[in-house]
Amino acid sequence: MTYKELTAIVQVVSVAVVTWWGAAQVAGDPELMQSAPAAAAMLVTAIGISIAFNIVVMIVGSIVVSIAQRAEMKDERADERDRAITTRAMRNGYLVMSVAALAGLLLLAFGNVPTVTATYALFGAAMLGGAADAVSRLVYYRIG
Amino acid sequence: MGKGENHITNTIRTLRFNAGEMTQAALAAEVGVTRQTIVAIEQGRYSPSLEVAFRIAKVFGKPLEEVFSYEG
Repeated sequence: MTYKELTAIVQVVSVAVVTWWGAAQVAGDPELMQSAPAAAAMLVTAIGISIAFNIVVMIVGSIVVSIAQRAEMKDERADERDRAITTRAMRNGYLVMSVAALAGLLLLAFGNVPTVTATYALFGAAMLGGAADAVSRLVYYRIG
Repeated sequence: MGKGENHITNTIRTLRFNAGEMTQAALAAEVGVTRQTIVAIEQGRYSPSLEVAFRIAKVFGKPLEEVFSYEG
């Protein structure tokens, strides 16, 4: 496993962890489904958790993988294949984020849902886009 | 990487063997790409740019067509 693959795996896990944490917060506090500022504040906290999670897990993951592979894991300079994979993965992430954002807008326009939903739709679209980018990178590193 | 089936084959594995069992890491360092990219090229999973293809051929002192061939 390379450093870039580990980064993508951690990003996917991070999305899952933040989604789980956010869902738990919403389930435990009804105000989070009624007040947009409260929802936004919770989501800002979620971003902070995501950043902290990524940093800690990358450090621990690098150490664990280095021990398992018996070779220091370090990020290599990106070459043409890395750049091609990054470009294609970003394109996928952008597409998923756009579709998710559009779905959120349509839900708001025609779904008769509370306006606080827009806050979650915006955040969810960005998270989905990030997850699609990371999963795409993992797949492309395996197949091409 | 690319759409569809890869029709470009190569003899890098043989050339590495003939070059004193040159490692993939050593070839990668000489070419200026990562070892993973050399692995992907060698396995036919990734078709390199012309520049990288020429650099690989230069490392082995061979013309491009002795390293890569197109089977369309």
